[in-house]
Amino acid sequence: MSTPAGFDELIHPATRLSVVALLATTEWADFAFVRDSLSLSDSALSKQLGTLQEAGYLDLRKEGGGRKRRTRVALTERGRAAFEGHVAALRAIVEGAGAVGPSAGGPGAPEEAPAAPEAAR
Amino acid sequence: MDATVDAEQAWRDLQRIRVPQERVYDEAERCASSGLGTTWATAALMWVFLASMGLELPWYGVLLAAVVYVALLGWLVVAFNRRSRMRLHRSRYTWHTVASMALGGVLTGGTVLLSGWLVDSLHPGVGALIQATATAGVFVLFAGPVNRWTTGALRGHAERVGR
Repeated sequence: MSTPAGFDELIHPATRLSVVALLATTEWADFAFVRDSLSLSDSALSKQLGTLQEAGYLDLRKEGGGRKRRTRVALTERGRAAFEGHVAALRAIVEGAGAVGPSAGGPGAPEEAPAAPEAAR
Repeated sequence: MDATVDAEQAWRDLQRIRVPQERVYDEAERCASSGLGTTWATAALMWVFLASMGLELPWYGVLLAAVVYVALLGWLVVAFNRRSRMRLHRSRYTWHTVASMALGGVLTGGTVLLSGWLVDSLHPGVGALIQATATAGVFVLFAGPVNRWTTGALRGHAERVGR
């Protein structure tokens, strides 16, 4: 199956998609806020952020010192564009399947509040 | 990495995106409801500034009081910003935010003018105290409900546009 333009393999994995989706709603977020919101460990989040930073999708900025030291995470314009392109690609896939007909719980089914994925609990 | 995604998977991914974004709106609402300290501090600064106008200060005294007032308000904004765990992206704000700020300005300014006119015949010191108390009171009564209205509208807007 071919994937639509804009589909981004880097942000496709579930945890990374959740991280980018959260950051796309914000100008910036504290590392601790992202970690707590997605119920991730420090190391798991650091790994995902490192990957995204290497791709130029986000900026990490350390502020303050001592006990008040905190890390602020923000999507770059490139990261924001990649996320929007990825969402558009996902919508295109869903709409492309719409002609086939809805399946139970599938893309054509009535929209309900989604169950929180494990990573977001 | 396999980049092929079927419609079911794409649908699940679109639903997954909503969950962390809900957390951001939860946090925005939590900040709005727990920002009572900032509201009271802003009202207190406003009260002191307006009450100081009753001291019949020379023009440079008024100017100094205004500069100190603005500086302290700025410091309050910076302190609030430092305590925040995130800031909502500018694209997420709606006309409600602009409307609430404009309405706040009109209401507070209107109270200053109206109460100033009503206490005009009183001694300037007493008049300024009444004016300051009325204005700060209106601000406190206005800020809470409007903050809740604005943040509630943000989530509603996000749901309508499908994020």
